[in-house]
Amino acid sequence: MNTSGRTSDSVIVAESLGKWYGEVIGLNNFNLEIRHGITGVVGPNGSGKSTLFKLVLGLIKPNTGKITVFGQTPWGNSKLHSAIGFCPDYESLPPDSTGREFLSLVGHLHAMEGATLASRIEELASLVEMGHALDRKTGGYSKGMKQRMKIAGALIHDPDLLILDEPLSGTDPIVRKELIDLTKRLNKEHGHDVVVSSHVLFEIERMTHDVALMYKGRTVASGDISEIRSLIDKHPHNIVIEGAEVTALAKSLLEEDYTVSVAFNDDRKGITIQVSNPEAFFNGLPAIIDDTGCGVTSMYSLDDNLEAIFKYLVGR
Amino acid sequence: MDLGKALNGISALTMHSLRGLLLSRKVIITALVALFVAFVMGYAGSQDVDALSDGANLLDVLILFFFMPVMAMIFGSSLIRDEIDSKSITHVATAPLDRAFAYIGYYVPLALAVSASMILITTAGFLSFFIQQGVDRSAADIYLAFTALVVIGSFVYSSLFLATSVLFKKPVFFGLFYAFIWEGFIGSIPGAIQKASVKHYLRSVGSEWVDYGDISGFDASSMGASAAVLLGLTLFFLVFGAYLFREKELS
Repeated sequence: MNTSGRTSDSVIVAESLGKWYGEVIGLNNFNLEIRHGITGVVGPNGSGKSTLFKLVLGLIKPNTGKITVFGQTPWGNSKLHSAIGFCPDYESLPPDSTGREFLSLVGHLHAMEGATLASRIEELASLVEMGHALDRKTGGYSKGMKQRMKIAGALIHDPDLLILDEPLSGTDPIVRKELIDLTKRLNKEHGHDVVVSSHVLFEIERMTHDVALMYKGRTVASGDISEIRSLIDKHPHNIVIEGAEVTALAKSLLEEDYTVSVAFNDDRKGITIQVSNPEAFFNGLPAIIDDTGCGVTSMYSLDDNLEAIFKYLVGR
Repeated sequence: MDLGKALNGISALTMHSLRGLLLSRKVIITALVALFVAFVMGYAGSQDVDALSDGANLLDVLILFFFMPVMAMIFGSSLIRDEIDSKSITHVATAPLDRAFAYIGYYVPLALAVSASMILITTAGFLSFFIQQGVDRSAADIYLAFTALVVIGSFVYSSLFLATSVLFKKPVFFGLFYAFIWEGFIGSIPGAIQKASVKHYLRSVGSEWVDYGDISGFDASSMGASAAVLLGLTLFFLVFGAYLFREKELS
């Protein structure tokens, strides 16, 4: 996956893609190439992830640029939907229908019928572990059950490409783990290409190493997650250190090349240090603490949230 | 997609939408309207009246004139719009079924549901009046004529209100204006302007079928012209609505 050029094994290619809603920009000069396998699309709320997926599905049309899926333009191309399965991030199950009725409707819409459809429904119910609730109204499902049923709906026609928009959102840790395992199985054992979005980087890391980071409608980085992590590490980090005798620690840290600034917190019990090379800082810190004899009680990064990382990457 | 697969998709969507329409609160509205019509016509039937003329007039005013466009508006304004607003339309919009075909899958159940609703209301009114006045061959002819008219009206009005539910974000406002102001008022004033209403052409067809009451002496357009206008309007709104749905961005 990269943001420039294309290869023959491209699944999705976006070139100079732009989409806006009135004065609100969804995507702006967006470039991305997604290849086979599992790809994570990571970005904070409002970064344009859902807009990208709607363009991939042909639910909306771009204002500028071009997007292709398996080499075809999605807008007005209903045939392409045979190759794509979509699990939206919003409630989309008809609440008055049972899980079986929902899957049956989606199956019929994909030109499936009879025994083939019936056995596929059973197969999927087993895959997403929803066999016990197949004949219950979806309105009574828990969040995790709804997510599983939506994934089953997306898989009913055995698509080549599966798009999961924030599938872990609002689910508890156990369900998260199960959905992460399921996503990996769908690629590894069933051969589906999967594009999965999240606003939590570490969740995506548990599924794949291929990620695209989006921020304010643009791709700010894409590729192997370790490369992105090193890219992130090249930008100044803010770290808070709390404990006793932090003044001596601050003085020593100011002598290091990687230190950009040191500021005392309002309560004088801690300092906030900005460093240009986090790796060197974390490697050297234990020795400095030993030398100064300060008692560190806690240490945390202010940059753990994705928003801060993206601000670094776009140079703000 | 070949025609067989398209028909499979239309059929699935038709069954799904029909079930949704017939199991919704609109059934309660239909029952309440049927009770209201039965009460009004039942009371009229208990009086000393000219059975065939007054019975036909009541069906004309209550059913064809008022409740026909209103019920079509109640059913039609929300069908696609509710799914767009709730985003449950995603599963239809991401299926390999051309949206123009999917639109037919919404129109057919809508027209059937409105027809069923109007037949029930017509039957309730007819029975409550004519059971007291006596059901003979002429009364049965009146019933069959109005039943046929409400079925035709259901298909025409459904095409109109389904298209407006794609066109407008709040189709019910347009629906209220159209049902009460346009059909109710413009369609009733004398002169050529009333020919701009669907009701005029429905009554024109009815004037050929009903031999009693005001509708039989109605200053009607010809049967052929009226049928052509009703068919033309239905096809126009179907094609227009399907085009709008196909081009609509579902964001």
